[in-house]
Amino acid sequence: MAFSQSPCLYMRIVAVIPAHNEGARIAAAIADARQFVDHVVVVDDGSTDETAVVAKSSGAIVLRHIINRGQGAAIQTGTDYAVKTLVADVIVHFDADGQMRGNEIPAMVAPIASGEADVVLGSRFLGKDALNMPFVRKIMIRLGTLFTILLSGIRVTDTHNGFRALSRKAAAEIRITLDGMAHASEILDLVKTRRLRYVERPVTISYSMDTLHKGQSTVKAMMTAKEIIKKKIVG
Amino acid sequence: MVFKIFLIVFSLYAIARARRQYHRREASWYWAVVWSFMWLFVIAVALMPQVTDVVANAVGVGRGADLFVYLAVIFLLYATYRSMVHQQKMSEDITELVRKIAVDRPERS
Repeated sequence: MAFSQSPCLYMRIVAVIPAHNEGARIAAAIADARQFVDHVVVVDDGSTDETAVVAKSSGAIVLRHIINRGQGAAIQTGTDYAVKTLVADVIVHFDADGQMRGNEIPAMVAPIASGEADVVLGSRFLGKDALNMPFVRKIMIRLGTLFTILLSGIRVTDTHNGFRALSRKAAAEIRITLDGMAHASEILDLVKTRRLRYVERPVTISYSMDTLHKGQSTVKAMMTAKEIIKKKIVG
Repeated sequence: MVFKIFLIVFSLYAIARARRQYHRREASWYWAVVWSFMWLFVIAVALMPQVTDVVANAVGVGRGADLFVYLAVIFLLYATYRSMVHQQKMSEDITELVRKIAVDRPERS
């Protein structure tokens, strides 16, 4: 099993990593996560580079989206596979770009293993550092958090943090239908409506020029908000 | 007057197009008829706009043209909503298909 810290000892932990053109960084992310989980599932979301090949040779199970469907869709694909095929007890959502730290996975899994929570949400604003986070990004995240509180009524400190852990029960209850970045808000919405127990845990997110370039721009943030509002209207 | 002529010419073109599509078997008989009647109605309104005033007054709207615009806005809003729902459903179906292909063919080293 993944690591020897009781009560996680008897739990099957699977990390799901959505990846789109992450050939240069995916190997390091897999190596980092692998030390703390039983399986790493990489969902190659229609990459045009060597992401799938590198992920496979790094020891991950690779699921290929034949066309790009977005991060939310990739996470749901990986979660489906983890629950149904790998019979995971805990599913950890982890990024491909090396922004997250594998050694924080045990702390994310612990509340599920102890029965304290069904969902554990990583937060950049609970004491640990968000390394090199630009001021504008900080403001955008705060605005996004306020937006989610207003729309979903769930009170969390960091709404768009991709580092999260779900129990098997939570993974069955949470069905992501928003394919893009708005899935993070949809997950929180479902946590609230399905009355799942959740806790937040501090996590470290490191930003580099590369990851900042790939991350959420202001325009992308606006598109994400549009996607969430559209979902509320269309259903 | 110019707008009236434009409306009539465009409606005749739309009817001819519906007829052509039916003959090419690109549209069903039902839709060719519905479409043609709709454009015939537009021609009737263009030729006798005073008739719409009577209807407008009956439902409490000042002019027939205003009633036409109100109905058009309502119809377009509803059509946009339906189109959004349809597009969302189609997008979800594509994702499900892509997901099924991915999950059925896992790759391991």
